Amino acid sequence: MKITQFDAPGNIAHGGGTCQFYNPVTHGLTGADVTPASAGEITWNGFPRKFLGTAPGGAADFAGAEPTLTSGHSRNQDEYLEWHVTRNGSGKITSVEFTCEGYDYYEFLGREAADILLGLYQKFISPAVRHADLFTGAQYQKLNRWNTADGAMHLTQQANNLFAEVILAAEATVRRRDAVGREVTAAIPLTKCSQFGDARRNSDPTIGSGVNGFARQGRMITLANPVGLYIDHLDDAGFRLPGDLPVDGWFQILRGTPAHTLRAVFAPPRGAAFTVSDVTIGGIPIKFGGQIAQNITMRLTGVASVANNVQNTPIPCEGAGGAVHTAIAVAASRLPTRGAS
Amino acid sequence: MPRAKSVARKKLVSEPLLDVHEIQGNILAGFNKDHQRLVGLRIRGVAEARKWLARILPHVSSLAEVYQFNALFRLRRSRLGRDPVCLVASWMNIAFSRDGLAQLTSDSDAAALPDAAFQIGLTKDRADLLGDPTPGGETDPTARWVIGGTNHPVDILMILASDDKTRLDSLVVQLRPAPMDGLSAPEIIWEEQGETRTDLPGHEHFGFKDGVSQPGVRGLISRRPRIYLTPRLLKAPGTGEIAFAKPGQPLIWPGQFVLGYPFGDRDGAMQPAPPLGRAWFKNGSFLVFRRLEQNVAGFSAFLKAEADRLSKTAGFPGISAEHLGALFVGRWPSGAPVSRTPGGDNPDLAADSLSNNDFLFTEDTPPPVFLPGVGVTAGTFPRAMEGSKGPVCPHAAHIFKVNPRDSATNLGPDIDTLTRRILRRGIPFGTPLTSLEDDGASRGLHFLSYQASIVDQFEILQQNWANNTGAPTSGGNDLIIGQTKTAARTMDLPSLVPSQGGEKISAPVEWVKPTGGGYFFAPSIGAIRDVLAVG
Repeated sequence: MKITQFDAPGNIAHGGGTCQFYNPVTHGLTGADVTPASAGEITWNGFPRKFLGTAPGGAADFAGAEPTLTSGHSRNQDEYLEWHVTRNGSGKITSVEFTCEGYDYYEFLGREAADILLGLYQKFISPAVRHADLFTGAQYQKLNRWNTADGAMHLTQQANNLFAEVILAAEATVRRRDAVGREVTAAIPLTKCSQFGDARRNSDPTIGSGVNGFARQGRMITLANPVGLYIDHLDDAGFRLPGDLPVDGWFQILRGTPAHTLRAVFAPPRGAAFTVSDVTIGGIPIKFGGQIAQNITMRLTGVASVANNVQNTPIPCEGAGGAVHTAIAVAASRLPTRGAS
Repeated sequence: MPRAKSVARKKLVSEPLLDVHEIQGNILAGFNKDHQRLVGLRIRGVAEARKWLARILPHVSSLAEVYQFNALFRLRRSRLGRDPVCLVASWMNIAFSRDGLAQLTSDSDAAALPDAAFQIGLTKDRADLLGDPTPGGETDPTARWVIGGTNHPVDILMILASDDKTRLDSLVVQLRPAPMDGLSAPEIIWEEQGETRTDLPGHEHFGFKDGVSQPGVRGLISRRPRIYLTPRLLKAPGTGEIAFAKPGQPLIWPGQFVLGYPFGDRDGAMQPAPPLGRAWFKNGSFLVFRRLEQNVAGFSAFLKAEADRLSKTAGFPGISAEHLGALFVGRWPSGAPVSRTPGGDNPDLAADSLSNNDFLFTEDTPPPVFLPGVGVTAGTFPRAMEGSKGPVCPHAAHIFKVNPRDSATNLGPDIDTLTRRILRRGIPFGTPLTSLEDDGASRGLHFLSYQASIVDQFEILQQNWANNTGAPTSGGNDLIIGQTKTAARTMDLPSLVPSQGGEKISAPVEWVKPTGGGYFFAPSIGAIRDVLAVG
């Protein structure tokens, strides 16, 4: 089936205001007046915040972030970045593969283009992958062994999906006020007030806060095409091999482009005499893939149009009275035309 | 009703009483002296080192002493309207590297200190992590450092400071190892004087006021009378909001800077002091020292050339070098924040300590609400307003990169940023450059910061934020202290004209270069007395 348009899920009925999240396919996209352009980029660290140490200097729980996984179980890596660690017979890490592709896209492929789905697994995970490994009847099993125990084709954590990104951005465009009428702007209170994500993450409060800032400026907001959450870059400062050699060429983009990286691997280039376990970061040997993830910056890009174009009044928090969270059920025809106030 | 009041009172979170006679004074109070000498020592004989430590122990300045003097100094200044020149004090604090501690205690003791960066030390691996440039022909960024690093390791770092230069000289002579301490007393391997600029007091060599923003540390100097280390001027905030001592100064639990105290977690909740591997770690703090050389002529020339170029563009008509520098820093040379005075410098704003740090980055800054009876008012300067077309203060401006305030970051919400704050105690070294031409002299900043974790605080600020184009938010590198190894640093500059696009600045060279440094632990005075000096 050919996709002809994205349907924006953001026409949230919020008490009569103008929806500030729009579908550029149906409502057109004009040039933004935000400068610099990078102001629309929202970034976050790829290692799950919940596994960081609590006290100053406390060690991160790298082992807890990447336990041995079996089929049927998702990863507990919730920053829209998941990884799979491959070790050799000696227990040394030979590669760490990272993905940030939402599972909903692969479920779509499973329904509509099973052969393409299988081909992707065979190309990126193993030539040994068979159709039967991925499907139960016609039903794609996203937590199959090749996406859990033996690889990471796409995201598995329940909240790591494209829908979550879109709805988070959409709901973050809604301006909120607290019980005494003050507009809610700080990241965690806003996340809790709007209930658009997990306040314990790096990503959700940051994404929501960034989008809401544009909404407070009275802008119309959407997500940049192509919609997605991407690996922005790996900062390999401090990565060293024995003999003080750099790790040039060890981080390779496997899927996507440098601007929109969906899949990457950290592994020795062909012919290298070392394994990933031989690499140190700031003098600390790599024992877990999470140590690399901690140096990966993730990104999504929003598009915010003309400021002061919409003057919405902040509404109460979720659960504070009033029907404000009707989510995505309203038809696109009710979306405002861009530029209207 | 009285009963209900009593219950409510019990629910208040009480702040800990600080061990004012144990914590070294520079950590929480700050020496704030115009003259400061750093002395790097190497231990030769452990017995002699202990003997020397025992000799100088009474001179290790405590929080109680430094706090009391600073309070007196402020009191006199408020009456005089200027600094009281006759009020003079001289202080000394001391800190130890991992190897230094191991020699004076044991390897297992030193290994129990809870910070991975301290354990490794500021040698090639951590310098590489920080993005420090590697000289041509070398593989070690520290290879040509004048102090610290791989080739000049420091076991003990002394910080001696005074309001009076002559008395500082005397103090140095009195306290540094001498023949009376034995032939194998610690060896002085380096010393260098820091001086407040006489032409621009409080300014670093690029010409900008430094040290304006410091966090407010919670904790009590005394229970009766109840005296907070950081005076409280503002009303307490609502639930879940960040509390401030004075405008722009958030309150942070002392465990963020001194071991053995409650700390704030990443979600802002106070947590009890974590257990320590050794009892004597309590009241100690990790110290980062960086000798940062500044290329003043190069920086000035770049600003001029880039401002000339930008001034001809539609987005930055007529922009001056000073204005561009202010956008790099986030403050004008006087210290006035760009967020409050985007069109030009405002020395009066800079001089108002209740206004010069009172601004947010991502929302309109509400006026401060002072506690009744504190008897202060802030100046009537324009409030900081969020940019309607883009950020007023660029997100790669130095003060944004190292303290993004209310902005959510790549590491989480604004309250998480409190866990990254450090206490800065730096001072310039070298003479100010008085011409536009480089005179070849070495000048820069003795950067000193105290924190409870070098990894989670100082290194995050340098490596994860200042060096990173995409963090704490997207917008480029910190062109003041940011470092990259592979490409020119860049900065996204929002246009000054609303209808125009911004510019990406590309800085081909770095004007701040590390030329020395080290990671240290500043133990309590009791630990020096009972553990380090006795073995």
